[in-house]
Amino acid sequence: MAEPMVKLQGICKRFGGLEVLKGVDLDVARGEVVCILGPSGSGKSTFLRCVNLLEPPEEGEIFIEGHDICKGPKSGTGEESWELNFVRQRVGIVFQQFNLFPHKTALQNVTLAQESVLGRSKQEARAKATELLERVGLGDKLSQYPETLSGGQQQRVAIARALAMDPQVMLFDEVTSALDPELVKEVLDTMRELAEEGMTMIVVTHEIGFAREVADRVVFMDGGVIVEEGPPAQVLDSPREERTKQFLGLVLER
Amino acid sequence: MSEFFHQYFDFTVMGDHFGEVLDGFLKNLLVFVVAAVLALIWGLILALIRQLPGKRFVPLRGLTIAYIDVFRAVPILIVILLISGSLPFLDFLPKSIRIPQWLGQPDPYWYGVMALTLVYGAYMAEVYRAGIEAVPGGQVEAARSLGMSHGQAMRHVVVPQAVTKIPAPMLNELISLLKDTTLVGVIALGESVLIGREIQSETFNSSAYILAGVMFLVITLPMARLVDYLIKRNRGKITRGSHIEVA
Repeated sequence: MAEPMVKLQGICKRFGGLEVLKGVDLDVARGEVVCILGPSGSGKSTFLRCVNLLEPPEEGEIFIEGHDICKGPKSGTGEESWELNFVRQRVGIVFQQFNLFPHKTALQNVTLAQESVLGRSKQEARAKATELLERVGLGDKLSQYPETLSGGQQQRVAIARALAMDPQVMLFDEVTSALDPELVKEVLDTMRELAEEGMTMIVVTHEIGFAREVADRVVFMDGGVIVEEGPPAQVLDSPREERTKQFLGLVLER
Repeated sequence: MSEFFHQYFDFTVMGDHFGEVLDGFLKNLLVFVVAAVLALIWGLILALIRQLPGKRFVPLRGLTIAYIDVFRAVPILIVILLISGSLPFLDFLPKSIRIPQWLGQPDPYWYGVMALTLVYGAYMAEVYRAGIEAVPGGQVEAARSLGMSHGQAMRHVVVPQAVTKIPAPMLNELISLLKDTTLVGVIALGESVLIGREIQSETFNSSAYILAGVMFLVITLPMARLVDYLIKRNRGKITRGSHIEVA
């Protein structure tokens, strides 16, 4: 196998006395779509947030495109020892709560960081943003403010905003959990298209159907460790571990 | 009863001295406008320093917090008297700072502006802080995830949202500031209350005070109404916003 796009080794994270991640390893190949499932409190969101250092891990190593993003010795404290810029230029994230900038239009949400971080010109950023917003089906909403958009539309703007930075990897943190049921599909469709185009994606989700259909690999986490991983058919249909069976039983019962 | 009325509402006294009191009040306004602009800027600087992240800035943050605490806790009059009573004698400073007479205004004017800026900067910093803390943490996370630095996130994302949340408390501070400009009369700036005192000691009649008070009311009452209006409008906005999010 070629060098993994993202390689995480022995990731540990504590919040106060609570050990949320207890040594998690994960390799994600270029173009691979990995879905992480697990009960709430299993550490899956924290793990995802470790990848782009929103929650810097206390122990463990992270390689992106083979590059060790931890500079010098790990003190387990400040952000200084991490190569934040390297990571955030390559890794995009979409959040459960969208986190669009409410004082900016859809278009400005997508152009802001292009101009201020990448130094693109106004026209260049605008062209890129327009193209991306059209791609996620919002070409007619450019000048609207987030509060006038539905949750599904807001989430698609958020996806366009992340894509505008030309990321190598996209992280999705329960992006459909805050949406009304009828709006989930439009967001999942956008993600499906992205996967088909070959984007490397790590997706924390409760959408078993999406995982089954789109994921190359499914990872089941519980209690801060990876319990089981493998192709969707194997993990979802004939799980080996008792905990996976229990969880899937509860989720699929609904 | 009529003696009482004349003591406070002698229209002859008011009429005779209207021009002087108004001149004094214009000085109050002039102190207010300059001190308000400076305090709004100084307060924002203090609030931003207070938000600097990381261990590196612990001393600077501590110093800023100490400044804000002390200047909110000390009587403004002491600050005014300290500045006017000591600045002229600090020989290592150039004369233009020891005895400032910029823009044609006398030194008591500038001592007053300095003192009010120092004190109200601290108050404003607290107002800004409330606004900054009212911006959801997800906003900073989103900005940082897009690669923005702390400063860029503050400038493009946090501060623009913070200031929309605080016009009402900000205006309250500005009302207090306008009233506190009368304290500068103590160091012989001829503002409306000092003029009123001079008239009172000449005429043994308090009507000039009432006149000055009315002039303040003309400005401060509409400001107080505006605060109420802004609070109501903001409440409407919040309800509308959450409604849309649910929809």
